[in-house]
Amino acid sequence: MIDVAGIIAENILYIAMVTLGGMLISWSVHFVPVGGAPAAMAQATGIGTGTVQLAAGAGLTGLVAAGAVMAVSDSFALVIASGAVGAMIMIAVTMIVATWVYVYGVGVPPASAKVDYDPITKDRQDIYVSQGTEGHGLPTVSFVSGVIGGALGGLGGAVIYYSLMSTSTTLSQSDLVALASIFAVGIFFVNAVIPSYNIGGTIEGFHDPKFKKWPKAVLASFVATLMCAFVGILTIGGL
Amino acid sequence: MSAGGAGGEATGGIPQNQLIALGTLGGLAGVYGGHFLSVASPAFAFIGALGAICAIVWGSAAVRRVASYGLGTGVPSIGMIALGMGVVASMFGLAVGGIAGPIVAFIIASIIGLVVGVLANKVLGMGIPIMEQSMTEIAGAGTLTIIGLSVAMTGTFMFDAVLETVVATGYIAVIFIAGGMAILHPFNANLGPDEKQDRTLMTALEKGAIAMVIAGIVATVVDGASAVPSILIGVFIWYIAFSKYVKLVHRDAYKVLGTGLLPTEEELE
Amino acid sequence: MEPLMGMGVLALMGAAATIAGTTEDLESDVGSQSNPNSQVQLAPQMMYPHRIYNKAISGEPPSNALICAIGGTVASVLMTAGLSVIFAIAIGALIATAVHGTYCITAYMGRTASQKRFRQPIYLDILRSHTPVMMGYAFITTFCILVVSYIMVAVLAHPFPLTLLAFIWGITVGAIGSSTGDVHYGAEREFQNVEFGSGLNAANSGNIVRKAESGLRNGIDNSWFCAKFGGPVTGLAFGMTVFLSGWVTAVFNPALSLTMGWLSVAAGVILVLLMIIWNRKIEVAARKAFGPYKEEEEVAA
Repeated sequence: MIDVAGIIAENILYIAMVTLGGMLISWSVHFVPVGGAPAAMAQATGIGTGTVQLAAGAGLTGLVAAGAVMAVSDSFALVIASGAVGAMIMIAVTMIVATWVYVYGVGVPPASAKVDYDPITKDRQDIYVSQGTEGHGLPTVSFVSGVIGGALGGLGGAVIYYSLMSTSTTLSQSDLVALASIFAVGIFFVNAVIPSYNIGGTIEGFHDPKFKKWPKAVLASFVATLMCAFVGILTIGGL
Repeated sequence: MSAGGAGGEATGGIPQNQLIALGTLGGLAGVYGGHFLSVASPAFAFIGALGAICAIVWGSAAVRRVASYGLGTGVPSIGMIALGMGVVASMFGLAVGGIAGPIVAFIIASIIGLVVGVLANKVLGMGIPIMEQSMTEIAGAGTLTIIGLSVAMTGTFMFDAVLETVVATGYIAVIFIAGGMAILHPFNANLGPDEKQDRTLMTALEKGAIAMVIAGIVATVVDGASAVPSILIGVFIWYIAFSKYVKLVHRDAYKVLGTGLLPTEEELE
Repeated sequence: MEPLMGMGVLALMGAAATIAGTTEDLESDVGSQSNPNSQVQLAPQMMYPHRIYNKAISGEPPSNALICAIGGTVASVLMTAGLSVIFAIAIGALIATAVHGTYCITAYMGRTASQKRFRQPIYLDILRSHTPVMMGYAFITTFCILVVSYIMVAVLAHPFPLTLLAFIWGITVGAIGSSTGDVHYGAEREFQNVEFGSGLNAANSGNIVRKAESGLRNGIDNSWFCAKFGGPVTGLAFGMTVFLSGWVTAVFNPALSLTMGWLSVAAGVILVLLMIIWNRKIEVAARKAFGPYKEEEEVAA
C-alpha cells in the first residue's frame, strides 16, 4: 500500500489548487449565457446549446492550449493565462458567429428578457424582444459575461492540469501527461454538470437573477472536487 | 440535446434491484474472470468486455429511472458526470488496490457518486427522490465499464499495464466516451411517452457490444490480450442485439412504413 | 520551427477544421440533431406528424467526441502496427462512421417508436436515404479532425496523445456546431412559415414546416437550406477557433522566452476584445435596421 499521509502532506498545496480549479469551473459556468433548446429557436437569450457542452467545449480548448504551453514553459502564471485565453477565444468566436446567425440568418436583434436595460451599454432591451419569446441573441452584457465565463473555465482547467502535473511522482513524463490530462477532463465534466443542475440548464449571464445562486453550486463543487482531488493526487503521487 | 423526461418515475420491466445485481456481480465477475483467465491465455481478455456490458446495461437502466424525472438539462449530463467521477475513481482503485483494485475503485466511485447525489438534492435543491441512489449506481456502473473495457484491451487490470497501454496512448478517452455513450444513449435514443424498458436495455446491449469491438481493435497491438475473440464475439452480440432491437421497434411503433404520406386528419383524431 | 513553416502548418489545420465544422453542422441538419430536434420531437404531439429524421445522439458534443475518439483510436492502433498515416486516418474515420450509422439508426427508430400514441409512423425510406448521407458527413468531420489532431501531435509536438486530442476537438466542434449553425436550422428553416425576423412565438412550438418545394420536407431538404449559411459559418467558427488559438502561440512562441509567452496571451486578449466590439457593432446595426417590436414607453430602469 502507499503512504497516504506522506503523499497528502507533501502535496497538500496541489490538492487545494485542484479543488480551487474545480470551484472556478463551477463558478464560470454561471457566466456563460446559455439558452438551451429554446435559444436554438431564437426563443430565449443566449447561446443555443446546453451548458455542460459549451462549458466543456471552451474549457477543454483552454486545456489543450495550457497543455501546449506547459510542455515548453514552467511558469505557472503563463500556463494558466494561456488556458484562459484559449477558452476565451473559443467562446468569443462561437458567440460572434452565433450573432451572425441570429442577425443575418434569423433576422432578430440581440435582446435580453431578464433586464429592461443592458447594464453595460444602457440600451433599452424589452421592446426589442419579439412577441412570445424570452429574448434572443447575445446582447453586449451576455457576450461580456460569456467571455468572463470562458476565461474562468479555462483558468480552472489549467490550474487543475498544472497542479496534477506538478505533483511529486516517479511517473515518466508521457505517462504523467496522459494521466493528468484525462483526470483534468474528468474533473472538468463533474464541475460542468453540477452548476448546470443548479441553474436548470439556462442562464443569460451575470445580470440574470439565477446568477445569485452560484454559491450553492460552488459549495457542491468544493465537496465533489475535494474528493476527486484527494483521489487523483493520491493516484499520481503514489506512483 | 433535448430536455429530459416527462417528470414522473419510469415504470415497468425488470425491477432495478435485479439489474443492480446483474451489473455489480456480472461486472466484477467479468473484470476478475478476464484478468485471471488471461494469464492462462490472452484469448480470454474478452470476458472483461462482457463484464463491461453488464455494467452498461445496469447503468443505462439507472439513467432511465433518474432521467424520467426530468433533469432540467439534457440526459447526457448525468452520463458525463458519472464517467468523470468514474475515470478518477477507477485509476485510483487500480493504482492503489493491486488485486483488490476493481473493488476499491467501485467503492470509491460509489462514495463519490453518493456524495454528489446528496449534494444535488440537499444543496442544489433538485428534489429528485432517487437522485442519491441513481448517482451512486451510475458512477459505480461507469467505473466497472471503464475497468472492464481496460481489461479487454490489456488482459489485466494491473496498473502498470493499464497505464502503459490504455492511459499513455490516450485510449482511455475512447473508453470514456464509448462507455459513457453506451450508458446514456439508450434512454436518450428511446425518449418519449411510449418508451419501454426492454427496448432501452436492448439498445444498451447493442452499444455495449460496439464498445467491446473497439476494445478488441485496440487489443490487436497488445500482447496480453487477443483481439479476435473480442471482435468476433462483439460483432455477434451486436448483430443479435440489433436484430432484437429492430423487432422491438416494430412491436412498439405506431406503423413501420416503407414509404408513404403523412397520416390523414381522420387518422389523427 | 521556422515561423513561416509554422504558419503554413497552422493554415492547413485551419482549413481542415473549417471543413470539419461545416460538415459537422450539415450532418446534424440532415439528422435533426441537438436542440432544434426538440421541435421535431414535439411536432407529432401537437398533431403535426412529419417526415423528418428524428435523431438524438446525446447532443452533438458527445456524439462527435465519440466518432473522433473512435477514429483516433483506430488510427493510432494502425499507426502502431506500422501503417501509413493517411491510410490509418482514413480507416479510422471509416470505422467511426460505421459506428455513427448504428447510433443514427437506433436514435431515429427508438424516438419514433416511443411516439406511438401520437401516431407518428417510422418511414424506412427516410432511414435508408438519410443515414448514408449522415455517415458521409461524419466521415469527413472525423477525417478532418484527425488531420488536425495528428498535425498537432506530430508537427507541433503537443504533449497530449492523439486519441485524447481528437476527443477534445470532437467535443469542441460539437459545442460550436450546436451553438451556431443549428440556430439557422432551428430558428429559421424549421419555421419558415412565420415572417422573417418575427422570432418564434412560444405558441407556434411544434408547428414546424412539413412541406417542401416538392413533396414532403425531409432532413436532406433542410441541409440544402442550411448549406447556404448555417453550415459554412459553423465551419468558419471552428476554423477560427483552431486557427486563432494556435496563431497566438505561433507568432509569439512561448518556447522562446517568457516575454513572448505573455505577448501571446496579450494577443489573445486583444482578439477577444475586438470580437466584443464587433458584436456590439452588429448589435447596434441590427437594432437600427430591425427596430423595436413594440412602441417605446418609459419604464423604471
